[in-house]
Amino acid sequence: MTGTREAEVSQAFVTLASSLVNGYDVVDLLDELTADCARLLDVSSAGLLLADGRGVLHVMAASSEQTRQLEVFQLQRADGPCLDCYHDGAQVAVADLDAELERWPQFVPAARAVGFRSVHALPMRLRDNVLGALGLFGTTVGALNDEDLALGQALADVASVALVQDKAAGDSTVVNEQLQTALTSRVVLEQAKGVLAQLGGLDMTHAFAVLRGYARDNGVRLTDVAQAVVDRSLPARRLLQHAAERHTSRA
Amino acid sequence: MKGLEGLRDDLGAAMAGADSALAAADRLCRACVDLLEVDGASVSFMHQGTTRGTFGSSGELSRRLDEFQFTFGEGPCLDAVAQGSPVLVADLGDPVEQRWPAFRGAVLDEGVSAVFALPVAVASSRIGALDLFRNQSGPLTERSLRGGRLAADLAALPLLDLMSSDVDWDAAARGDDGWEQLASLERVEVYQATGMIIAATDVAAPEALVRLRAHAFAQEMTASELSWAIVERRIPLARAEWLGRPGAPAGPS
Repeated sequence: MTGTREAEVSQAFVTLASSLVNGYDVVDLLDELTADCARLLDVSSAGLLLADGRGVLHVMAASSEQTRQLEVFQLQRADGPCLDCYHDGAQVAVADLDAELERWPQFVPAARAVGFRSVHALPMRLRDNVLGALGLFGTTVGALNDEDLALGQALADVASVALVQDKAAGDSTVVNEQLQTALTSRVVLEQAKGVLAQLGGLDMTHAFAVLRGYARDNGVRLTDVAQAVVDRSLPARRLLQHAAERHTSRA
Repeated sequence: MKGLEGLRDDLGAAMAGADSALAAADRLCRACVDLLEVDGASVSFMHQGTTRGTFGSSGELSRRLDEFQFTFGEGPCLDAVAQGSPVLVADLGDPVEQRWPAFRGAVLDEGVSAVFALPVAVASSRIGALDLFRNQSGPLTERSLRGGRLAADLAALPLLDLMSSDVDWDAAARGDDGWEQLASLERVEVYQATGMIIAATDVAAPEALVRLRAHAFAQEMTASELSWAIVERRIPLARAEWLGRPGAPAGPS
């Protein structure tokens, strides 16, 4: 491990751990997790699937739009390593996707089409519950080394704890409620991105950056900002203005 | 007893072929009685603080029980909508249960001892609740609770139809599997396009989704297809007549 990477890994854990102590935003946390994985591990992107109270999986976060689409594809076709990982509650390692065409006849061509050659899926676990799966996508053939796998699983485990942290988290109803809240937050976030995209003529990636920038600079939770934008109690124009000023002051 | 997957299929199938939103909601409620070990079920509707009422029910008694909440202005269903999470009352007769004195008395008089209220959401906004009634006190089983949540999800579809009652829905539009329709509304691009419609028309999220769905139907597209077209700006929203409110705020000034 190089010095820089070591420092980054420590930083990632500090951020995740501090979310356990301070008030935190689930959507922000999981977005951070996928970004951390893409940056720290030998993969090009990461995506996260989370199950709701009914056991139905949803795409909760992704480090790139392509990965999001691929995760959606798995859910639609009920075919792919992340689904198997969730159902079995165990890691799935695919060093070379081409070798697994028979196992996932729909997923493999779709993943190859967007340039991925290898996939590793890690379960999000909390005691006996499997909450979802973290997918790590690589553009080259080859297995992740043990160190990367362990690090990825450790990040996923800390995020799992943060996701359902509650005094009564042993109660499956409470766990379900918290996951449900997280999934609803995701819906509101996507809607808020849409509002900003339409009003500011932005693409969704930039709309998200505007939203997040405003939340961070004002010390408010991402989900709260998104909800206020969707409710129209916070004018979307104010966020766009903030982003423009931010941009000017940095230029 | 059927597993969750079987429940899902049966609940979805129950609404198939109904020729109106009201009939679909009634069928869903009757399916809850058949499948979830409860004696009655109803769906109530609350929209923007103006419209409210009982929408579907498994029978006369359930409808009356549901309406008590609106008569008295209190009840687990109103609380479930307000807080966005289930309100599960395993024993209404328990003397420590004092949350809804008027509602409680009226319901107990009808011989009902347990009420389970599950919120119904459209485009992340809570617009109603599914109420399950049981004569016997005691908690719902894990399976029935999960099944109830599935039913509450499905209940969003007839409520959406109700909100857009000016649209002439073809029976075929809801004759298929309800889950397929629901899944098509639960896509990221649909949320994003809903947000874009909110910005273009200044309406609330549920209303924006109604307009999106109505236009998709009129254009013989799925909600997802239309949403992609909107997100990729192949269908511009500025001055789009189907949005109903031309001249609404456009780009940044």
